[in-house]
Amino acid sequence: MVIGANPTDAHPVFASHMKRRLREGARLIVVDPRRIDLVRSAHVQADYHLPLLPGSNVAVINAFAHVIVTERLVDEPFVQERCETEAFEQWRKFVAEERNSPEATEAVSGVPAADLRAAARLYATGGNAAIYYGLGVTEHSQGSTMVMGMANLAMATGNLGKRGVGVNPLRGQNNVQGACDMGSFPHEFSGYRHVSDDAARHLFEEAWHVPLQNEPGLRISNMLDAACEGTFKGIYIEGEDIVQSDPNTQHVTAGMTAMECVVVQDLFLNETASYAHVFFPGSSFLEKDGTFTNAERRISRVRKAIPPMAGLADWEITMALSAALGYPMPYQHPSEIMDEIARLTPTFAGVSFDKIDELGSIQWPCNAKAPEGTPVMHIGGFVRGKGRFMITEFVPTEERTTGRFPLILTTGRILTQYNVGAQTARTENNVWHPEDILDIHPWDAENRGIREGDRVALTSRAGQTTLHARISERMQPGVVYTTFHHGFTGANVVTTEFEDWATGCPEYKVTAVEVCLAKRMSEWQENYLETRRETTQIQSKQILSGAAGD
Amino acid sequence: MVHRANQIALFFAGYPHDEAVAGVTDHFKKFWERRMRDQIIAYVAHGGKGLHELALEAVKRLQ
Repeated sequence: MVIGANPTDAHPVFASHMKRRLREGARLIVVDPRRIDLVRSAHVQADYHLPLLPGSNVAVINAFAHVIVTERLVDEPFVQERCETEAFEQWRKFVAEERNSPEATEAVSGVPAADLRAAARLYATGGNAAIYYGLGVTEHSQGSTMVMGMANLAMATGNLGKRGVGVNPLRGQNNVQGACDMGSFPHEFSGYRHVSDDAARHLFEEAWHVPLQNEPGLRISNMLDAACEGTFKGIYIEGEDIVQSDPNTQHVTAGMTAMECVVVQDLFLNETASYAHVFFPGSSFLEKDGTFTNAERRISRVRKAIPPMAGLADWEITMALSAALGYPMPYQHPSEIMDEIARLTPTFAGVSFDKIDELGSIQWPCNAKAPEGTPVMHIGGFVRGKGRFMITEFVPTEERTTGRFPLILTTGRILTQYNVGAQTARTENNVWHPEDILDIHPWDAENRGIREGDRVALTSRAGQTTLHARISERMQPGVVYTTFHHGFTGANVVTTEFEDWATGCPEYKVTAVEVCLAKRMSEWQENYLETRRETTQIQSKQILSGAAGD
Repeated sequence: MVHRANQIALFFAGYPHDEAVAGVTDHFKKFWERRMRDQIIAYVAHGGKGLHELALEAVKRLQ
């Protein structure tokens, strides 16, 4: 079951594996607002496509659970052996309520009840069943609730702890998994240990010879809020273009402008670099040693093919900055950093560059209990002990359609560009995808007098941009879609500041908008072009001046 | 801030009252930075208008 993911565009390597399995006879359920390629394309046809309305994921997953519980499809022996009894009974009672039935939720999700019932029966009885989900799950105000809902479903049907099952996230960017594993969250150390965990914190304090705080830090959106309030003064951004990728661009730029010291380290002068006081030229994956970790917890080596063109690899730049701030770091090579990770992180205790070279790659946990790694998690028991079912009440997002903004905008990616285009939009890939396009259903287009290729204004309560329209029956009526690969489009000028209640992940997938014909670019786009022109001119002058000095 | 706090409260609202208040409190402690907690504590001290009752109770436990 693929939920809120479009693998053939956003995860093409995984999609190739999935299509091979489908050609071999695997069954497929697609839960997505759009008719993505996996619904039907050459040699692939989904058994069920549930075209839900953006923002109704939790209502749909609760309806799945309702069918499984009320039609007695629960794997009772698995639940009895592996899960907390009281929490399960609480959950069973909750999902069995009539308001969670497919018939009751159809009004909010738009998914025909009969199709949902049939899909739920297939998931529960079709043999090994795996869920693969993408940012169409997490980028919602109830993204975390939805993940819990999917975990509930997998536990209820015994689809955990063996090969070919599970709840599998398709990560949004390369090495998201690795970054999360290493404690990039503002409340965690590596190995997902909270900063209030005294034992873990003391380990790091002893290794680094500095006292560490036991308090969580700010997330990006909170940092920007605090910057606007005047209590957050400086930021060091490495390999991320938050001015283009984060929601409500005007708020992001207000926060960046308010800061006293913005340091950006990147391969290119990206949109965020326009707000930097200091810019460090970063290094690509070909210019440094290290590791990437993918969604199946597989750690693979990255090997330097050429010396860093700007002189230093990313890790060396960070070390130089640290030394300038008064804390010299001792590492001579990234393998020494990995050795420290292994010393300080129980799930990485057995990982080293030598072992990765020996085995080819390693899936963590890798330690004394699993010296060659762990291909399948949760065999025989969960990390926390018994599995705990969670109550997943559907709470509609506050981003609602109105008479003024009657359509829902959802955003995504296309095969030939990567994310905000910092890398690919500078290449010949632009021949395939030169600009972001707005997909709109024929009915919605006709009601607005919009024809194929017209320039249209896309307006939300946050802002306005313009782009060209494409009439597409991939869309359902009432839902429009665009990508966010090109800075000029400014798709995130339109998205709002709503975010997931637990993680703070922005709600990119649901924005109430209106679309109408436009004769000229938006005011934001005019300002964007002007700003780019100014920053480019300044850069050219500096280069000329530097060259003259030489 | 009020919206964020209420979103957390609405998630835990499906649980028995004491368990729900404990859940919201724990979330504030684990994931809200000190200045965010101080802001919401000050907000509640001035009446806490618009806050879900579970969030109100949880904030009082933070003090």
